[in-house]
Amino acid sequence: MSHVSLHSLTIKKFHDGLLKKEFSALEMTQAFFGWIEKKDKEIGAYLSLHKDEAVCQAEAADLKIAKGEPLNVLAGAPLAIKDNILIEGLPATAASKILENYKASYDAAVIKKLKNAGAVFLGKTNMDEFAMGSSTENSAFQKTKNPHDLSRVPGGSSGGSAAAVAAHLAVAALGSDTGGSIRQPAAFCGAVGLKPTYGAVSRYGLIAMASSLDQIGPITKTVEDAAILFKEIAGQDAMDSTSSPQARDYGEDLLNPKLEDVKKLRVGIPDEYFIDGLDKEVAAKIEEAISSIKSLGVKVQKTSLPHTKYALSCYYIIMPAEVSSNLERFDGIRYGTRQKADNLLELYKKDRESGFGAEAKRRILLGTFVLSSGYYEAYYAKAQKVRRLIAQDFDEAFREVDVILAPVTPTPAFKIGEKTSDPLSMYLSDIFTIPANLAGLPAVAIPIKAKAGLPVGFQLIGRHWREADILGIGRYYEQL
Amino acid sequence: MAEINKKLLENLAELARIELKAEEEEKIQKDLGAVLDYFKELQVVNTDGIEPMAGGTELKNVLREDELGKTDDTGRGPEQFPETKNGYLKTPPIFE
Repeated sequence: MSHVSLHSLTIKKFHDGLLKKEFSALEMTQAFFGWIEKKDKEIGAYLSLHKDEAVCQAEAADLKIAKGEPLNVLAGAPLAIKDNILIEGLPATAASKILENYKASYDAAVIKKLKNAGAVFLGKTNMDEFAMGSSTENSAFQKTKNPHDLSRVPGGSSGGSAAAVAAHLAVAALGSDTGGSIRQPAAFCGAVGLKPTYGAVSRYGLIAMASSLDQIGPITKTVEDAAILFKEIAGQDAMDSTSSPQARDYGEDLLNPKLEDVKKLRVGIPDEYFIDGLDKEVAAKIEEAISSIKSLGVKVQKTSLPHTKYALSCYYIIMPAEVSSNLERFDGIRYGTRQKADNLLELYKKDRESGFGAEAKRRILLGTFVLSSGYYEAYYAKAQKVRRLIAQDFDEAFREVDVILAPVTPTPAFKIGEKTSDPLSMYLSDIFTIPANLAGLPAVAIPIKAKAGLPVGFQLIGRHWREADILGIGRYYEQL
Repeated sequence: MAEINKKLLENLAELARIELKAEEEEKIQKDLGAVLDYFKELQVVNTDGIEPMAGGTELKNVLREDELGKTDDTGRGPEQFPETKNGYLKTPPIFE
C-alpha cells in the first residue's frame, strides 16, 4: 500500500483500491491518522479524533471484504464530520463553549446511514460556533488555516471539513450549509461542496441553526464523490418532517449522467451576480469556467434574478430570528456547562453569557429584536415577503434556463483576522451563496482549474430536486 | 426604523436571557446599528400583495395520530445532565 498516495485518493479510488486489495481499510485508516498527526498541527481542521472507533469501523469493512460480502461504495472510506452533526457517544460541540463537554446521545440520521454503509469517521471538524460565520474564526476552540495559504482562512462555517479534504486529512467530509457554509469554504479550499435541495437530507441530529435554511451536504475532492456521498445521505426521514417524499426519487442520472443529456441543459448567467464588489481575478476565472462549459456543447445564455441585491438583508433578518429561537435550548439545564447561581433566571443568564461567543450573542439579540413586537412587521414579515420575491425570481429564470452559473464568493480566501472586527464585511462574503438557501434550491461549488493562485470556485444552482443537472455539468467539466 | 439604544439593548438581552458585560454592550450596540442601517434597503422593495414565505418548503404541516405508549427508556440523554438527584435532573429553585 506504500505506493498509494492519500493526496490522489477519492471515494471512488478508495473503493476500487479496496476491491482490488491494493490496501485494507485498516491500513488506510492508520495511514490517515499518521498524516493527520503530522499535518493537522498546522491546519487545525479537527476538534477531536476518534481512533478507536475508526479502527473498529475499518476492521468491520475489512471483514466484509474477507467474507466476500457485497461492499457499499463508502465501506471503509475515512470521512471527517462537522462538529454540529451527532455521532452517538462522541463529542458534538458545534465549536461552542456551552457544549464543550457534551457527548451526543444518539446518531444523526446521516450518520446512521453512513454507519450502515460502513464508512469510517476519523474525527469531528472545526467550524464557526453553531455554524455562524464565514471564516471558522468564530470557533471557541481554535483557528483553522487554509491549506493553500496558512495566513488565510479556510472559509466557514464548515471550514474544518473543507480544510480536512483539501489537506488530504480525510477522503471526504460532511458539512452543513445555511447561507453558504458548505460552498464558500469548499471554494476557498479548492474542494467541491454541495448544498442539497431543502428537504433532500434529514437534519435529525444536526444541531439546528436556522431551520428553514439548514441542509447537510458533502465536501469532496471531485464532483463524482459529491454525487456518491449525497446519494447515500439523501432520503425522507420520519424524524425530520421537512424531509420530503421527493428525496426518494433520485435516479441513475445522479451517479451516471449522460453527456447527451448534459448537452441539452441551458445554463443562465445572471447579470446581478457580476457586481462591482466582484474581485477581478475571480471574474476572470469565472469567464474561463463559462468558456469550458460552452466547450462541452452546453448552451449558455444571459438570465436575470432582479431581487438578488436584497438577499443579504433578507437572510440576515430571517436567519437570526430562527437562531434566537433555536438557541433557546442552550441554557445549561439538561446539558452543557452550568455555572453557579441562586435561582433559575440567574443561571440562564450566566450560562448563556459565559457559554456563547460574540457572534452567537449578536445574532440572538438581532433575532430577538426583529421578532419583538413593534418591529416584527418592519423587519421579519418584510423579509419573509422579500424571500418569496427572491424565490420567484428563480422560478421565472428556470422557465428559460435549467441551471444558473454564478460565482461562489466575491473574493478568494481572505487573511486571518481581516474581517473579524467588522461583522457586516464578514456577512458580505455570503452574498452569492445565500439566494439558493432562501429559495431552497440545490447548489454546488466546483473549483475552477488553474495552474497557480488561490483556489476560486464557480457555483451551479439547479431546480428543486435536480442535483443531477448541476452535478452532471460538474462531472463533465472536471473531466475536461 | 429603529435605533438600538442602551435601553433597548438591555431589554433584548433580558428577553434573550443573556447577561451582557459593559464592554460587550457598546460593541454590540454599534454592530447591530450598522446591520440595521444596511437593512434599510428593504424598505424600497415593493411587497404589496406578496405572501410571506414562512419556511424552506411548501410542504404542509405533517401530522400523525397520537399514539399512547409506555416506556421507561430515557435513552442516553440523562447521562448529560449537569446535576442530578436520585436520577432526576436537578435545577436551582425557580422562586426565591
